[in-house]
Amino acid sequence: MTDTSVEETVKQIVIRIVRKPDLNFSPEATFKDFDADSLDIVQILVAVEDHYDIEIDDDELQDVQNMGGFLAYIENKIAEKG
Amino acid sequence: MSFEGKVALVTGGSRGIGRVIALKLAEEGSDVIINYFRKKSTAQATCDEIRTKGVKAHAIKANVGEPEKIHSMFDEVVSEFGKLDILINNAASGVARPAMELDDKSWDWTIDINARAFLLCAQRAAKLMPDGGKMISISSLGSRMVMPVYTSVGVSKAALEALTRYLAIELAPQNICVNGVCASAVETEALQLYVNDPNLPRPAWQTTPAGRMVQPEDIANAVIFLCKDESAMIRGQIIVIDGGFSLSPSAFNPEGGSHGP
Repeated sequence: MTDTSVEETVKQIVIRIVRKPDLNFSPEATFKDFDADSLDIVQILVAVEDHYDIEIDDDELQDVQNMGGFLAYIENKIAEKG
Repeated sequence: MSFEGKVALVTGGSRGIGRVIALKLAEEGSDVIINYFRKKSTAQATCDEIRTKGVKAHAIKANVGEPEKIHSMFDEVVSEFGKLDILINNAASGVARPAMELDDKSWDWTIDINARAFLLCAQRAAKLMPDGGKMISISSLGSRMVMPVYTSVGVSKAALEALTRYLAIELAPQNICVNGVCASAVETEALQLYVNDPNLPRPAWQTTPAGRMVQPEDIANAVIFLCKDESAMIRGQIIVIDGGFSLSPSAFNPEGGSHGP
């Protein structure tokens, strides 16, 4: 179950960086669907890290397929932090 | 211990060349603040290593491409240490594409991190530096030689070197010494991003007329020299550390750029 506050926060970060206010932020969506290039993705990751004071491991992200997986990963990192 | 009681900030100081510079500064007795981009665990490991030299270490996360992050970083420098004696502008990034494939976003990203950050850091650092402060920029040969897919970084480094000269003159009345170190390919993780490109002349990357690749320690040794008062009459200069690579006509010959063993 995705925490709606995390979902909304991450969605707003993605919208700000890819500059697409009306993007469809569904659990199945991928960064590719948002036309996010590698610089966008780095900026999104940094913004999420800064917001939640977590460290995202790029190697671990290799297993993340879509936004649903991304949100679950972030929530897990937040929980780990305590 | 030449730098006892001094405080140094190394941007991009958690790994690669920046990490080795940070450790050398610590060996010379300076407290060291390292700025890092993302990996807190790597930064903490470098801080732990710095502390084994008997000095203070502090890590600050900041993307130096963002002005507000630079200001937060310097606010933290002030609150933690109250002054700054040495600024090493080392953090760098870039997008490996030919000029015809560069978009404005990639260009801005590279220029902001590699060149504008030094301006903004220098503006804040100068206010914290006592008489005899030092600022060193870390450049690369792409500033003056053309290398495939290196356009944005090369141009940003040219700007960085020019800025180094301007700052050297403008800050001379405050007795702040500003110089740069310009390296050829240095054996670090970052180099791997370029080495895999089939367009690059691999043998030339792998050696120099001096017979070996430039190591991070070679850069750090030059930086330490420029941070010492013995080098105080060197101002606005860019010291090339390349084992003679840029002087060799065969430097960019894919069939072999080496005069060494």
